[in-house]
Amino acid sequence: MSSAAPGAVVNRAAGDGTLRREPQAPGRRASRPAAGWLGVVPLLGFAAVMLGLPVAAMAAGAFTASDDAGTTSVTAANFAATLDGPYLESLLGSVRLSALTAAVATVLSLPLAHAVVTSRIRGLREAVLSASGVIANLGGVPLAFAFVATLGNAGVLTGAFGLGEKGWSLYSFWGLSIVYLYFLVPLMVLTLTPALDGLRPQWREAALNNGATGLQYWRHVALPILWPTLLSGFVLLFGTAFSAYATAAAMVGSSIPLVTVKIASALTGDVLVGQAGIALALGMDMIIVAALVMGVQLLLQRRTSAWLS
Amino acid sequence: MALLTASRPHRGSRLGRTVSLSVAGVYFLVPLLCALAFTVGIGDARQTPSLGAYAAIFTTDGLAQSLGLSLVLAGATIVLVFGLLLPALLTVRLAAPRAKAVVAVVCMLPLVVPAVALGAGITTVLRWATDWLYDSPGFPLLAALQEPGFPVILVLAYTLMALPLAYTTLEAGLNAIDVKVLVEAARSCRASWFRTLFLVVLPNLREALLNTAFLTIALVIGEYAVSALLGFQPFAVWTVAISGSHAQLSVAVSLAGLIGTWLILLAVAKSGRSKAPKEKP
Amino acid sequence: MTASTLAPRPVSAGTAGATLEFRGLRRSFGATTALDGLDLSLEPGELLALLGPSGCGKTTALRMVAGFETPDAGHVLLDGADVTATPAHRRDVGMVFQSYSLFPHLSAADNVAFGMRMRGVPAARRRDRAQELLELVGLPTHGGRYPRQLSGGQQQRVALARALALEPRVLLLDEPLSALDAKVRQSLREEIRRLQLELGITTLFVTHDQEEALSMADRVAVMRDGRLEQCATPEELYNSPATPFVAGFVGTMNRLPGTLGADGARVEVLGTGRPVHGSLPGGRRTGAVDVLIRPEALSVGADPNGTALLVASSFLGATTRLTIRLDGGRTVLADVPSAGASTLPLGARVRLGLPERPVLIDQARNEETSA
Repeated sequence: MSSAAPGAVVNRAAGDGTLRREPQAPGRRASRPAAGWLGVVPLLGFAAVMLGLPVAAMAAGAFTASDDAGTTSVTAANFAATLDGPYLESLLGSVRLSALTAAVATVLSLPLAHAVVTSRIRGLREAVLSASGVIANLGGVPLAFAFVATLGNAGVLTGAFGLGEKGWSLYSFWGLSIVYLYFLVPLMVLTLTPALDGLRPQWREAALNNGATGLQYWRHVALPILWPTLLSGFVLLFGTAFSAYATAAAMVGSSIPLVTVKIASALTGDVLVGQAGIALALGMDMIIVAALVMGVQLLLQRRTSAWLS
Repeated sequence: MALLTASRPHRGSRLGRTVSLSVAGVYFLVPLLCALAFTVGIGDARQTPSLGAYAAIFTTDGLAQSLGLSLVLAGATIVLVFGLLLPALLTVRLAAPRAKAVVAVVCMLPLVVPAVALGAGITTVLRWATDWLYDSPGFPLLAALQEPGFPVILVLAYTLMALPLAYTTLEAGLNAIDVKVLVEAARSCRASWFRTLFLVVLPNLREALLNTAFLTIALVIGEYAVSALLGFQPFAVWTVAISGSHAQLSVAVSLAGLIGTWLILLAVAKSGRSKAPKEKP
Repeated sequence: MTASTLAPRPVSAGTAGATLEFRGLRRSFGATTALDGLDLSLEPGELLALLGPSGCGKTTALRMVAGFETPDAGHVLLDGADVTATPAHRRDVGMVFQSYSLFPHLSAADNVAFGMRMRGVPAARRRDRAQELLELVGLPTHGGRYPRQLSGGQQQRVALARALALEPRVLLLDEPLSALDAKVRQSLREEIRRLQLELGITTLFVTHDQEEALSMADRVAVMRDGRLEQCATPEELYNSPATPFVAGFVGTMNRLPGTLGADGARVEVLGTGRPVHGSLPGGRRTGAVDVLIRPEALSVGADPNGTALLVASSFLGATTRLTIRLDGGRTVLADVPSAGASTLPLGARVRLGLPERPVLIDQARNEETSA
């Protein structure tokens, strides 16, 4: 990278005379470009080691198997196993749950975030945003406990409304969805707030002035402008839901078919020996799914948001 | 409906606002209230209501250790996050704008790797490293990484997991000020690089730094997957571990942690707002 | 090009523009009164500038025409019809905002065509009409660009095209030039006026820039604290301001010490008597007053026994602006032909002369004499 930098920096420096056209043009730094990258090196090095090593080890482990004699061989059996039976089911279950809750949270968060941003109640904004920050980041375990106390088998609402007899279970797909929304909605509110702040009042007024109704303003102006944020927000929510483990773990339910639960139980070895390879393969599957979703988002973003560049 | 909202913009949107906020308020408050009721024993006929679970917070073995461990880890994580990110972000703005895309991608990459997968990967690395380094000079180092009193490996993992959040928060803070102009102004007043950084740049980033720090604390206190897979017992893991035997206590502790962190963050937001002048008269 | 050839829909024959009328508009925001009973009317095809310092209520008045503000009392009449209660999206007025009002996700052409899209005009028709309008504002090849790819001046041209796209009866301009560079501002100013005259559209133009108002408008309405101070042609406003506020706000004004005669009709200034124009605020009839004189109305001659001293001079081209200190301590400015000014050395004693015309007077400002 230090070999690529000099030419680039010198090129930029040539345009430095055109006042402020290129605000980031580092004219004075042209003489020692390598030093310019020095501050970035620790971060890149850290990421390479802390992200690169585990992922590489996971990939290697996923593609090897060791037999009883202790010899290892390269195999695709682990991956094959993850794409079959209960493992595939857990993977698909996770994807379904994440996609559904992310979509619902995205849709629900928009009116909520809008209400918070436009509300005139004093202090509401700070209260909601800081609470969202806490719930979205610290959430997992406490939320699981709170929902067990509320809607679990012995929960307050379960008892009060006799939900148990009506077939309600918190440890089901829908039960888990309700819990997941509790930390996904705040995350989306956090994501949407700056974007909603960025909606200029002139746009609304210009739309009305051009004969648009309030609904048409949202349909033709506000939503298209928010679209990139909604899209990247959805992907963030999907990833968060997909990788969530603490909630399910705290709800004491390895009966819930989630891929994170399967990985953890395979790793902690309370099942058969030799499952480690499958756990690693499942981990790789997760990374692939997450990367695919993010890739699709980037593609969509590029296609629909030419106006941003 | 559309005509109605357009002709009376205030009334229509006010109704929508009220409905949204009320529904959200109910959804978000009820579980917390139910959890509260559970911890004090209200709603359970077999129990007499008491604050015993909260009193037990101060006497139960293990809580102080696990919470202390979490806080120490959080402190170390914050230091490492700032130590890695601030130089990188300032470098991008001052000297190497072409590194911006690389830094952005690297900071967002951890989002692709779920915590459980990261935990699985780290376990694998550590196991292999143990096999290779056994009886070698590197072994004590490996042991130090996993010292139960202060597991450095967790600091490294948390730092990686905090990168996306810290990056977006700090970027937003940096976008609000013109670092280049600030630095050039300070340098032209003959301030050293050290003074420029600590007396000019960082004070202007105060709110973003505080926000990053507290969100990182929240993340570390709540982190479960990696810590559990690696076999350590910080706060979140401990609360789950005792939830079987001390159900009320575990809920009480988590609730206290949640609300305590929120109050701190709220105070940070308030202090940030009181410093900034109102935009509209 | 006339208005009727631009119309996307039939326009009643002979529409040269609509009338616009404000009747007793009042509006308060909490404790502040933005409009305190505004009465004003615009002739068809007229460009009227609402001029005043910030907070004088001019923008509030304009937003009431657009339907973004509701008056507490009073009415807005468009072509004689009361539109006070009509929702903004059915007002039939076009508005250009101060800045950043283009939809960022739409190209320039789509921005211009937005209103037609809302009305269900077929796509092909929209495209042609948008192109026509972009040509009208001098951007025939910029239709495909997004707002962030356009300069500030180009963005305002597109905004103007968008405001005109639906053939509105009234055009509202809310300080459309204030965010632009001086040079762009100058050329766009002329451009807007040219288009307005060409289309014959009744236009309300809000500005705090008196030069802009004077150079563009048929009539200028000067506002202060929610009230109308004076509404007149630029010439009249400049040459015979009705109140000291208008005099001070429009153009440069000197304050010379004078003494009001007992009858209140004549004032003694610089050693000569002059008739008084307008009334004295506060109802004072005699004594010390300030006499308001434009710099170009003063003549300056060298006189060793003169009561004033030339302290500075700056060359402005055809004229030279002289800074003169009166013996009382007051400083006045005088614009004189540059040819004559060159004969006056700095530090020379001079004598000031006044034309034989009525003058405007104001209460004396003592703080200035002591300075």
